[in-house]
This record gives sequence, structure tokens and C-alpha cells, in this order.
Amino acid sequence: MAAFLGAHGYDPGPTQRPLLAGAIAGLLATGPAVGLLHAFGSLEVEARILGTSIAVTIGAGWVVMAIAGAAYSRLFGRAANDVRGGWLFGMAFGFVVWAAGAVLILPLVSGGLAPAGHAALGVFLSLVLWGGVLGAILPFVHRPLHKTIESEAQRPTSGPSGRLPPAKR
Amino acid sequence: MIRVVALRKAAIAGAAGALAWELVLRSAILLGIPTFDIVRTLGTLAFPHASTLAWWSVGMIAHALVGVCWAVFYAYFFWAQLDWKPALQGLIFSGVPAVLALFVVAPQLGLIKLGAEEVQLTRDMLLPSLSAVGIAGLLAGHAIFGLVVGAIYTRPVGYRADRPPEIRLCATRASRNGGRRPQNGGFIFATGFECSYPTVEQGKWRRDEMHETRHYSFWQRDIELAREIGVTHLRYGPPLHLVFEGPGKFRWDLVDEPMVELELGGPEPIVDLCHFGLPCWLGDFQNPDIAAALAEYARALAVRYPWVRYYTPVNEMYVCAKMSALDGMWNEQRRDEASFLNAVFNLASACARMTDAILEVRPDAIMVNSESGEFYQPCCPDEEIVARAELENERRFLPLDLLYAHEVSERMLGLIREHGREEDYRRFLGRRMPKRSVLGVDYYEWNEKLIDREGNPRALGELFGWSVIASQYWRRYRRTMMHTETNRIDASDAQRWLWRQWHNVQHLRGAGVPLIGFTWYSLTDQIDWGIAIREATGRVDPAGLFDLNRDPRPVGLSYKHLIDMHRDVPEYRHCPAVEEMMS
Repeated sequence: MAAFLGAHGYDPGPTQRPLLAGAIAGLLATGPAVGLLHAFGSLEVEARILGTSIAVTIGAGWVVMAIAGAAYSRLFGRAANDVRGGWLFGMAFGFVVWAAGAVLILPLVSGGLAPAGHAALGVFLSLVLWGGVLGAILPFVHRPLHKTIESEAQRPTSGPSGRLPPAKR
Repeated sequence: MIRVVALRKAAIAGAAGALAWELVLRSAILLGIPTFDIVRTLGTLAFPHASTLAWWSVGMIAHALVGVCWAVFYAYFFWAQLDWKPALQGLIFSGVPAVLALFVVAPQLGLIKLGAEEVQLTRDMLLPSLSAVGIAGLLAGHAIFGLVVGAIYTRPVGYRADRPPEIRLCATRASRNGGRRPQNGGFIFATGFECSYPTVEQGKWRRDEMHETRHYSFWQRDIELAREIGVTHLRYGPPLHLVFEGPGKFRWDLVDEPMVELELGGPEPIVDLCHFGLPCWLGDFQNPDIAAALAEYARALAVRYPWVRYYTPVNEMYVCAKMSALDGMWNEQRRDEASFLNAVFNLASACARMTDAILEVRPDAIMVNSESGEFYQPCCPDEEIVARAELENERRFLPLDLLYAHEVSERMLGLIREHGREEDYRRFLGRRMPKRSVLGVDYYEWNEKLIDREGNPRALGELFGWSVIASQYWRRYRRTMMHTETNRIDASDAQRWLWRQWHNVQHLRGAGVPLIGFTWYSLTDQIDWGIAIREATGRVDPAGLFDLNRDPRPVGLSYKHLIDMHRDVPEYRHCPAVEEMMS
């Protein structure tokens, strides 16, 4: 899979702005995820475990999810712009964020405390939903942010010596 | 896009896999064998006190949805990575969700089942909580799922040759008017839509690159992208197998709208009439009737679009005959010299008659006869190896020799006599080639081959380069030339390759060869060309100026840079060889 993505995905494309698009899409996808967390009562449990208020928990969540969105967009590169498969790549990424964040990191920073019951289910579903929404909307968020072919084609890197090794003295 | 995925097929495979798992494991449970009941676990998660029917329905739906996600994941990242039977690939893949289920999902499900809102984690809570029988059931369930998904999810691209999908071309916006620059004798900078449509699996399965790259959906966008790059010409091959439905029957609705778009706003099309395949009703390239039928198609197309001036009647005749009748990969899938000769004569005959038919309608039409520029190098002075290389180096010219009425080598003549085709050959020699014929020489990294000690041809990479190989064709035919195809499947090396090809073109022009154009082929990435489209895996080869999301690749920007840099330079703005063609 790594080699597969490496051939097509790591290069985000010369006209793309993956970090910006990913951060915006990550922020937007956090909306429905917060709604789901609230519906399962997970928000209150997370705030309690972290020892903060719900408002601070949500605020921190937006920031973390914007960074995670940017990371997703950069990591998946061109693949992240695939309208047909984006939802799945995003869900897979959401699953990884859940496994790494909610299952490993949260208990570490909270002295071993972790959500259980419906709250745990809410955390899982919200992160998978976040990933799915992130992956689905990213291509559309990204489109208007692209640099123009006209401007990028004029760069020296596109020219005849753009791919040559630096000249030696 | 990193892989062309048949989403519907993957979804069906995932749901079927989940159902098969449930059928087998439910039977085991009903027989009293204690095992991990995934459907019950998921169903009672949402409705702990629901009736059996309720939890089973909810659990089954949830399980099927998870199965669909995993099957789509399989389709993107795992399918066809291993050269094993599909069901076995699925079985191996099932290890991934099985490990995750065992070490991540099952312990977490345990936490979710707890009555509390939060817990103090212990080491035991994070370890697999299942009994040995439970673990065995989980692994067995995943294995069944993998086998079913693998068995169902095959051939994600292409379609049954006798049952093409319903394809309609719809314009999403009004055609642009007034953008086409009149061809005024300038050098040709071209790209093209990859449009190969051979059959594989003994004629049962149709590959259709335009369908696989979603060109039928994005045709208008694709034309706009070609304009953005700044190309003057576009190699465009209407899908012969879909358009030409039978004698006198044509589906012009698949061609009309793109042609209107190209006529109004450019680029100037080089219409490619036969690209590695035939309509089912014509059979394959062993059929001697294809010449008359394709001449009818060419004439009808020239009558319908009288403004079109550039044509490629048959693309790469040598490659088409070799892959179909010598290497056994496409269409008739034969592997013998007689079939190869048949295919060559039929293709050359078709090309000649199509040319004549077009010229009857449009006497000033320009024929761009694209052929693959090949070369074979013997690995050692072994007589047999040298003879094999010589044979291949003579055979590569055979279709063009017929078309351009050039005498073949003694060895080829012997072969022609041996198969009783001398009379046909003499007929070709008596043919007069039209003045406006361009010899197109295509070039890829695999075109130069080494004949190894076992006598097998092996790709050498760029040994001598396009200008040396094209010079061999120039010396033989002395015709106006064009670089009609190149690309690089390794996208990271594509920019370097583009400039190298361009410098080859400049070198040959500098040597006095009348050369009218250059082509990066194709506009978008292609599907399965790394394996000569002989299997329907859906692998994307990143060879295009744009990827399949229609985002530019670095080589797309370099090609625009190249065109912008040269198109107004006097020696490219006025190209004497083009002006002579146009006169």
C-alpha cells in the first residue's frame, strides 16, 4: 500500500495546496463529528477525562482535527483528490486517528482513563464519520484553491534544466 | 485516482462476504459450536434488549456495511498486487481486518459493552479478550469473507464485448466558439486521448481505455485541458467498436458533440480511426473483409466531418499485428507467423483503402501513419541471436513496407512466399502513396530491445534514443516525419523524459529531416499499460499530462513550458515541412 500510494499519492501535484485544503476540510468535517459526540454523550465524558470544560474540549478538537486534516491531505496527496474513493481513504484515516488518538494517546495523557460504554462507541463513530466527511469534501474544498497551470508552468522547475542535477563548478 | 475501482462490484463483494460469514458461523452456532458471534455483538450494541429479529437485522446491516468498506479498501489497495488466484488474494487480505479485529476492535467492543461511562484501563482490557474458540471463529469468519470478496471482485475495468454499457456523451456547457487557431503551417505540438479498445480473454472481454479513464464523462473537460496546455493538435480516436454498429449503421451521437467542440474551439484533431480493436461483428484482424468495412467507416466519417484534415487510418499496425497474432495478447490471440502475416496484410490493406476512401471525400487530407519505432540489439555474437535480431529488425518494417510500397528484405520475401502471399505483396508494390502522408514514429522506454542468450527480447531502456531509431525509418522511407507518441510510466522521471524526447526532435530537424510535430501521449493517465492491457486489473499508469482527477502532473506543466517557449520562435511558427503538406 505504501509503495502504491508512493507512486501516485505522495506527490500532491504542482498546482495543489494540500495543507491548506486539508486543514479547511478537517475543520468542516469536525462539525458533524461534534454533533455525533454530543448525541452519544461522549463530549462530556472526554471533557471530564481531560479535566477541562466542554467548550475547551471542542476548541482543542477543532485545532487537532484541522492539523489531522492537513496531515491526511499531505499524506494521501493526489489520492485525496479522488472524488470516488476519498470517503474511504478518509474513513481509513479516521479509523487510524481513533486507534492512535482515542485508544492509545488519550489514556496515556489522562493517566489510564478511557471512555467506555456508549461514550466509547460515540468516540469511535465520530472519528470514522469525521474521516469519511473529510475525505468526501476535500476534493471539492481543494478545487478553488489550486494554483493556475499558467503561473506554475512558467517556473524554472518546469523548464529544460528543471530536473537536472545542479551545475558543478 | 490511484486505481480504477468498480465500486458497485466491490460493494456487492463486501456484502456477500459478510453474508457468507454469517451463514457459516450462524450454522455453527445453531449446531452448538461456541464461537464469536459478530452479528449479535454488533446488534446488541445498539439495542441490548431487542428481539432476536431486531438485533440480527441491525447487526447484519452493520456487519455488511463494514464488509463493504473493507471490500472497497481491498479493491483500491490489495487487488491484483499478487499474481495469485483472486480468491486466494482475498484470503490473504482478510488477515488485515482479522488482526485489527483481534487486537483493536474486540477489546474496544469489550469496553463499549461495559455499563460505565469511563474506566481506568488495565493491561488485560487492552489484550484480546476472546477464548480460543472465539478467536478461531473470528479468523474463520474473516477467511470466509476474504475468499468470497476475492472470488467476486475481479476484472474491475472493461466490459463484456457483446454487452457494452450504455454510453452517452452529454455536453455540460455550451461549446466554446472561435478559439481554434487556423493551421497556418506552424510546427505541430500534440497530445491525445488514449483510446485503445482491443478484446482480451479470447474476444470475450473488451478493454476500452476511454471508458476506463472516464473520458466519456469528462470529454469536454479533457478538451479544455488540452487547450490549457496549449497544444495545436489532438490525437482523437472515436470508439470504432461502439460507433460502427454494422454495414451502413453508425452511432454518430458518440462523436458529434466532441467534434463540434473541436471544430469550434480546437485543438485541430488528428482523427484516429482504428486503434488496436474492431467491432465484434467484424471479428478480428484475421478477417480479410475488414479492409472494405473500415473503408466504408472512413468514408462515412470524412463525409460527416468534412472539415477534418488530419487522419491516422490505422494506429501502429506492427504493434497491433504483433500483439494480436504473434504474442497472443489481444483480439484473435494467436501465436504463429502465418496469423501474423495475415494480420499485417489485412491491416495494411485496410489502411490503404481507408486512405483512398478519405481522399475521395477530402483530396487534401493529411495521413499521419503512426508506427512504433522499434529496434532489436543482439546481446552477443552468437549466430542464432544475431539472426533473431536481424529478423525482428526486418519484421518491424513489414506493415510500413506494404503501405509505402517499399521492397521487403529477402528474408521477409521468403516468409511471404512461404505463406503464399507474394501476389498480394506485389499488388502493394504497385500502389502509389499519396503525397500528403506523414510517417509517425512513436517511442517509449521499452521500444529498444535486447535479444538475450535465450533468444528472448528484453526491454533495454533508452539505448540509442528516438532520433537514431527514427533515422532508420527516415532512411528507409524518406517521408515527412512526426514524433507521434511518447510518455514515461515513472511519473518522477517524466519531465526529464519529455525534454530528452524534445531534444531528439530538435536533433533530427537539425540534421535536415522534414519533421512536422511532437506528441506527448496521452493527456491523462492510462490504465494497465504497464502490462500491455492484457489483464483487467485497473492499475493506473501515471503517464499523462494530467492524472485521472484531471489535476496536472509536473510533466503537464513542462509540456506547456515547452510549447510556450517554442511556438512563436520563427522556425517553429513557420515549419516548411508543414507548409508543404498544407499546400
